[in-house]
Parts: sequence; C-alpha cells; structure tokens
Amino acid sequence: MLESIVEFLILGIVLGGIYALFSTGLTLIFGVLDVINVAHGEFFAIGGYIVFATVVLLHLSPALGLLAATTGSFLLGLAVYPLLIAPLKRRLGRRPQGPLFLVLTLGLSTFLQSTLLAIGGGDYLRVPPFARGMLDLGFTAVSYQRLLILAVATLALVALFTFLHFHRQGMAIRAVALNPDAAQAVGINLGMIFTLALALGVALAGMAGALMAPLFNVYPAVGFAFTIKAFAITILGGLGNLAGALLASFVIAIVETLSVLVIPSQWQNVIAFAIMILILLIRPQGLLGRADR
Amino acid sequence: MIMTRSTRRWLWFVGAVATAAAVPFAVPHPFLFNLLIQAAIWALVTASWDLLGGYAGQISFGHSGFFALGAYTAAGLAYHLHVSPWFGLVAGAILCSLVGLCVGFPALRLRGHYLALVTLGFAEIIRLVAQNWVQMTGGPFGMHDFGTLPGLPTALLRYNETLYLVVLGIAAAAIALMLTVCEHTDAGKAFRAIREDQVLAESHGINIKVYKLYAFALSAALAGLAGGLYAFSIGLVDPNLASPLTSAMILGMAVFGGIGTIWGPALGAVLLFMMSEGLRFVGVVYNLIAFGLVIMVFVIFVPRGVAGLRLGRNERLSRRDLLQSEQAGTRPDPVQRREVI
Amino acid sequence: MILEVNDVRAGYDRLEILQGVSLSVAPGQIVGIIGPNGAGKSTLLKSIFGYIRPFSGRIALRGEILNGCRPDQVMRRRVGFVAQAGGLFAEMTIEENLLLGGYSVGDTGTVRGAIREVYDRFPLFRERRRQLAGSLSGGEQRLLAIARSLIIKPELLLLDEPSAALAPRFIDEVYETLRKLNAQGIAMLVVEQNTGVILDTADRVFVLEMGTNAFDGTPAELLADDRIRRLYLGSEAA
Repeated sequence: MLESIVEFLILGIVLGGIYALFSTGLTLIFGVLDVINVAHGEFFAIGGYIVFATVVLLHLSPALGLLAATTGSFLLGLAVYPLLIAPLKRRLGRRPQGPLFLVLTLGLSTFLQSTLLAIGGGDYLRVPPFARGMLDLGFTAVSYQRLLILAVATLALVALFTFLHFHRQGMAIRAVALNPDAAQAVGINLGMIFTLALALGVALAGMAGALMAPLFNVYPAVGFAFTIKAFAITILGGLGNLAGALLASFVIAIVETLSVLVIPSQWQNVIAFAIMILILLIRPQGLLGRADR
Repeated sequence: MIMTRSTRRWLWFVGAVATAAAVPFAVPHPFLFNLLIQAAIWALVTASWDLLGGYAGQISFGHSGFFALGAYTAAGLAYHLHVSPWFGLVAGAILCSLVGLCVGFPALRLRGHYLALVTLGFAEIIRLVAQNWVQMTGGPFGMHDFGTLPGLPTALLRYNETLYLVVLGIAAAAIALMLTVCEHTDAGKAFRAIREDQVLAESHGINIKVYKLYAFALSAALAGLAGGLYAFSIGLVDPNLASPLTSAMILGMAVFGGIGTIWGPALGAVLLFMMSEGLRFVGVVYNLIAFGLVIMVFVIFVPRGVAGLRLGRNERLSRRDLLQSEQAGTRPDPVQRREVI
Repeated sequence: MILEVNDVRAGYDRLEILQGVSLSVAPGQIVGIIGPNGAGKSTLLKSIFGYIRPFSGRIALRGEILNGCRPDQVMRRRVGFVAQAGGLFAEMTIEENLLLGGYSVGDTGTVRGAIREVYDRFPLFRERRRQLAGSLSGGEQRLLAIARSLIIKPELLLLDEPSAALAPRFIDEVYETLRKLNAQGIAMLVVEQNTGVILDTADRVFVLEMGTNAFDGTPAELLADDRIRRLYLGSEAA
C-alpha cells in the first residue's frame, strides 16, 4: 500500500508539473489582461499537433519539436491581443467588461478546435516518447519520459520566474499586472505588454501540450479538459496569483492521482470540479488569496 | 385604433409563429421538417439561456448541462421505467429547475468570472456522469431506442409534420411564457435591475436572492424541456450534448441574435442553425468554424446582435447632457448600459 | 515655449470634459493649474501625457505636435509624469520602482547610472532599496514617485496634486524638492488643490473652470483679481 502511494505520488508530481506549466500561463494572462482565456487548451492542442508534425511527419528530433511547439504557439499567441482582445477593449472603453472576454475566447476556442479538426482530422495521433526506458527505483519504476516532462517543466517555470523578476520586459509585465495606470506613467506600452504576456502564456500551454503528447494522444479537443481543470486550479490558487496557481497545480494533480486508490479511475476527472465548486463556496479568494474579492 | 408597443410585439410574435407553422407545408419533405424541429429546439434553449444571461445578467457557460440533463432524464425514464414520454418531458424540466437552484445557489455570492467557471464546471460534471455511469446512461455512445412521443402518426412525412407542430407549439408557448415573465411581471423588472446594478437593486428593496434563484430555476427548467424534446425528436442522446461546444453554440446563437431580448436569441438560433446546416454541405467542420467566427465577430463589432441592428447609435454625450441627467436623477445613456454583453 | 496647449477638447468615451483649454509653459518655469473639482485639471495632464487622446486641439512640445502620442512616446521626449497618490508599484521594491522608471530608456547602464544619482539625492532610498514601496510613509512615497520620474532626466515634469493627502510638513518637503529640481532647469506643470502652496511656488497660474480657461497670469495678478480670489482662495486671502 505504502509503495503504491509513493508510486502514485510520483505520477502526481509529474502531472502537477504539466498542470503548473498550463495554469501559470492561464494565470499570467488573467493577471495581466484581466481576461480568462477559454481558448488556452487549444494552444495545448496546437503544441501537440506541432510536435506531431515535426517528430512524426518530418522525423526531426523531439527537442526541435518541443522548441517548434513552444515558438509556434508563441507566434500564434502574438496575434490574439491585437486581433481580438484590443478591438473589444477599445469598444468597451471604460465600461465594465462583465464576462465578455470569456465569450470572446470561447468563440476563439470553438474556432481553433474546429480548424484543427479541419486540418488534422478527428483521429487520435500518436507521438512516440521523447526518451525511452525506465528509471528503476527498486519498489517502482518511472519512465524517462515522465522525468523529462518534470525536468523541462521545472526549467521553464524557473526561466519564467527569472524573466519576470530580472528582465526589463518581465518587470514591465509584473508592473502592468500590479498597477496598469502607474505602468503607463513610466512609459510602458500597455498594448505591447498585453500582446507579450498573452503570447508567453499560450506558449507555456503549447509547451505543455508538446510535452504531454507522447502520454496522451493528440486530437482537436485534447486541450479543453485541461482548460476546465486549469480553471479549477486557478480558482483554488486564487485568480491571478502565480504562486497560488503553482501550489494548486500540485495539490490537484496529487489528489487526482491518489484518488485512484479510493475511487474508480474514470471518476478521477470529476474531483477537480468538485474541489473548484467547494472552494468557491467556502473560500472564493483561493488558498493563498486575501479576502478582498 | 392605437396599438401599444407591447400589443404590436405580440402580434409580431403570433405572426412569426403562425408563419413558421404554415410555410413549410408548401414544401413538405421529412428532411425539412426534421431541420425545423431542431431549429425550434435550439430557439427554445437559446431563449432560456437569454432569460438568465441576457435579462438577469447571470452569464451561464453551462447551459449544455441543463440541456443534457433534461434529455437524459426524459430518455432514461422512458427507457428504464417505461414512463410516458410526456411525463418524462415534465420530469426532466422539473429536475433541471431543481438542479438550477443548486447551481444558482453559489451564484448568489459569485459574479462574472467565477459564475462562468462554476457553470462550466457544472456542465463538465454532467458530461462526465453521462459518460461514466454506463448502466444508466449508456456511456460514451449514449442511449437510443427509448421511443418517441406517443400518439403521433406513423407515416414518416405525417409523423415529422405533426412532431414539428408539437415541438413548435411547445417552444412557442415556452418563449411566450419567458417574454411575459420578462416584460410584464415584477420578476422581469427585478432581473433587469439585478443585471444593471446589483447593489442599487438591493437598495431599492428587491430581494435579489429570490429573483436570481427564480431566473436560474426557470431558465434551467426550459433548457431541460428543450433537452427532452431533443431526445424524443432525434432519438439519440450522448455525452456530447453536455459538452462545452454545445454551450458555445447556445452562446453563439444568443450573441448572434442579440442578448437581452428573448426573441432575438430565438431568432438568432433559427438563423444560425439553418446557416450551420447549410454549411454542412460544404464540410462538416465548417459550420463549427463559422460558429467560432460568428461569436468573435459579433461580440466585438455587433454587441446587440441581429435584434439590435435597427437601433441607431447615439451621439457623444456632452457635459451639459450629463449634468442634466444627473440632476434629473436618471442614468446617462440608457442604450449604452443595455450592452451587458 | 517648451509646452503649448491650444484649444484642446478631450474626455472619456463620449463625455467631453475639456471644452477648449489653452496654456503654455516656458523653459524653466513652474506653472500651476488650479480650479474646482471636475474642472478637468487631471484630464488636461492626461491628455498631454498621452493617457487619453484629445478629440481636437493642438498639444506641442518644443514645437513638435504631441497629439496621439502614447505615454511611452511622450516620455522619450523627456517628459515625466508624477501621478496622484497610488502611482507606485506598492508590491515591488524601491529599486524595482526606480528600474521601471527607466523602462523607456532601455539601456541598463544608463538607468543604473541615473538610479545612483537618485540615490545620492535621496540617501533614504539607497538604504531601503530592497523594501517594498508600499512600506514607505505617504510623504516618502510621494518623494519616491518624484525620484522615479527623474530617471529619464526630464526637461518637463507633469505633476498631479503632489500635495494630496499629505501632512503639512511633508507638503513642505515635497515642494522644497520640486523647487530644487526646478532650480536645476526642469520645467513643471503642477495641478494643485492646495492653492496656498502653489501660489508660493509657481511662476504662472492657470485657473480652469467647467473645462475652460477662467484665468491666466502670475500669482500676484491672481491675488489682485477679486472674483477669482473670492472663488478660489475664500476668506483666507480676503
């Protein structure tokens, strides 16, 4: 029993790494733009498709595939703010936005998902593991693919943190999230930062999708389950709170994987939503949030 | 004779329903009636979304959940317990209104983003239950062979014709009920007040808790009724009914038609459904791509939808107008404030 | 003239707040703007700095048209902005605030140099550079906001109520700092509710009323104008 707990704990931590990549992207976008990106999962799917194209169709190395998936989703993400968010913001002026941006990005999600369906078909595409073999821990074994996922996710998150705290544009992203008016007063171009933050956020989703591709199959709707789960995670962590999202990612992932020991595995996916609704009823500001909402 | 605005609107409504009932008989074909049946169902579910989202301002991202719940309840009762489908329709609506109350309960405290996420999570739970509770729901492939509405003729064309009139009648009655509630009762005024300014509404003595739950229950019940009609008309229910894509379609239809008018979303649903069926001939995915595009374009550029096309834009408000309206105690620019979405 | 504003109309959405305002600032001058609440004083500063785009009129910096420039473009022309209270990044450190002050400069070496100069002028900030800006007192925060606007080596500073919500001794300290900076050649356009302190400091004063100019002259001329004096200085100067 103890061994299987440890085994599932390891799986939970790996899954938590993916959730963390995905949810920090979502949280970054929400924190800076005040937009919940319903289309976040579609960039996860796009990352998967790009890695399939580079690794399976073009026979290039997985590292290149990962790079292409991240860059590709970043470049696509660059278009989202100027083409969609900015025109709506301009129309709204200073009026309250309500859930308008949710509706807008829901439209984007439908559009991207069905476009992927039109391009790639509805088939489940298989991507071979980037690394083969298992690391033998004695009582259990962990595949190198999972370790790779965890390593890359950790590296990416450390890089993101470093960028946000020490790079000029990263600091500007934080500045806009904290106080957009003051950010303008020091000459930060809000439109540019919005564009950049959105692209960075979806690039993290694309990277997560590429990393997960060998474990999941790639199909158009693969990301949507992640989107909804990431909503649960960001609510647990407190909307817009990066550290909270990071913590909540691992909490939800570990609870989910450990739940297999207690309840049938097909019900595993319900847990995140149950936690989300519970949190909203008991503590809407999230785990680390302050009671100000 | 002088007609009030309201009388005129009812005449329009009755005229539209009568036309919808009569015109297809000029080209009697089972396929056409089949399409129109679905259009009427979408009109009903979209109008029910609008009652909650457009009128009361509680934007739901999980109406597919109520739709699917109504469909599964009606189908399940007929299949497992051999209950009359008519009873199943009513039972589905009642169950949905109860579940609507449960979903609405957190909404008493939550707004905007949070409400949207809760309703999205609710629909996802419905979908997962539908997919995994195999002995009750048939699992991923859904349920079929649970019968159809009794008492209809058996010949295909006659069957489709009668079913169409039945569905159209029920949908029209339900939409008329929503229009009445929204335009002619205190509840309608309360919904609008909640949407415009919850705090102000409360300070005017409106019990926002009761009216929000009312909106949730009524909207969910009618979405469930639409789901039941769907089940018996199509003869198949599957977990995809509860998928976010279904909610996106409902939202898209409502945004297209013009939120906050009930009739706008119903009209939008019919138009968009017909357009999307037309696009199926081009290719099955193109209708979905079009849905995404319609949502994005209309949210950004045509916020009042088809229903709002005849309203003109108003002028830049000058300082004097603002001062006058403040002195008169009215809110400036009522048209602008109607754009809740 | 370093700054010239000509018949500017501006506002938010469809609401016109400025209905034709004109003013000018000569190099090295301190120019004050006073007027009742809602007269459009802050809107005027925001229009100049590019926060909002004027509906019509002309804003020129050293003869170059500024209309339609974004704040970052205005800043690159050496115009600094000190917002009313709340213009700092309270959850960031003092040093991060100063680094962001140099955001539009780009070159890190130049910014570091400018920050050293700021630290020399305000040793307190060097001492506490790792502290959160939000932990400073109200007066210190105002000084930090001014210090942050100096990183770009401005020739013109726009200040929105530098005395707002401060205790009298901090007001004196803030204005003492402003006078010193002015003595080094920085022109200033100051919106102020505190008429006493701005009349002591400014070379020229504009009065705004209902979005238009109501008076323009030196503080001495303003004090000589009965109507304006009664309206804005009340019994205190009568």
